[in-house]
Amino acid sequence: MTVAADRLDITFAALADPTRRAIVARLARGDATVNELAAPFAMTLPGISKHLKVLERSGLITRTRHAQFRPCHLERAALEVAANWIEENKKIWTERFDKLDEHLRDVQATTSTASTKRERR
Amino acid sequence: MTDHAPAADELVYTRVFEAPRELVFRCMIEPEHLTHFWGPSGVSAPLETIAVDARPGGAFETVMVNDTDGSRYPTRAIFIEVTEPERLVWEEPGNGVVTTSTFRDLGGTRTEVTIHQANVPAAFRSPEARAGFSTSLDRFAAYLAKLG
Repeated sequence: MTVAADRLDITFAALADPTRRAIVARLARGDATVNELAAPFAMTLPGISKHLKVLERSGLITRTRHAQFRPCHLERAALEVAANWIEENKKIWTERFDKLDEHLRDVQATTSTASTKRERR
Repeated sequence: MTDHAPAADELVYTRVFEAPRELVFRCMIEPEHLTHFWGPSGVSAPLETIAVDARPGGAFETVMVNDTDGSRYPTRAIFIEVTEPERLVWEEPGNGVVTTSTFRDLGGTRTEVTIHQANVPAAFRSPEARAGFSTSLDRFAAYLAKLG
């Protein structure tokens, strides 16, 4: 719950596309130019550029402004922030279950002493 | 042992509680119960911030308050299905995640609760991600590539 939800949404949306996931996976191995990124895909350069723009807007990748071929770079922190959602989510449910377990014990301890004549079906 | 085997691409959490199904189900939709457990450790869900309209289209709203620094995290979901005492389905409009809670009567006073979460983007469902993705980024990248 530490991440602004809208930011997470943008990251999720950016990664919802298989081409963009493949680009991110490639960039995890190192920086690459648009041409290098386009190579494995049967896609035009403008097609790839479109995907890169989405990834750039999401903050997942950055592009060097000054270098001639403007290599793309994966912003690992942004990816981690998004993926941590799962871990955090798991933790929340685990702790919720722990507390619910405790609460159910409390509730039942109270009701069983209070209503001895409770009928059972 | 749920109605259907969980798909590999769903997040699933299961727990068995020593309590009758009707009670466990009510805990999930009644603010007086929710306030006792909805916030994870270190976080409270004050009763006055919980609003539950348990019917399809109804809202499920809470505010979780950090006990240490007082920061507030509002949550909002919309019920899709409410089948007492078996099933609850809600969707968070903010991120599209659909959460299905299933309550299974195990006999006696034992109830199995299963939380299924769907619509979590595929990239975040990997075992690597679940296991703590920040330490295995390269494996995660490989996983992303496999999703194709």
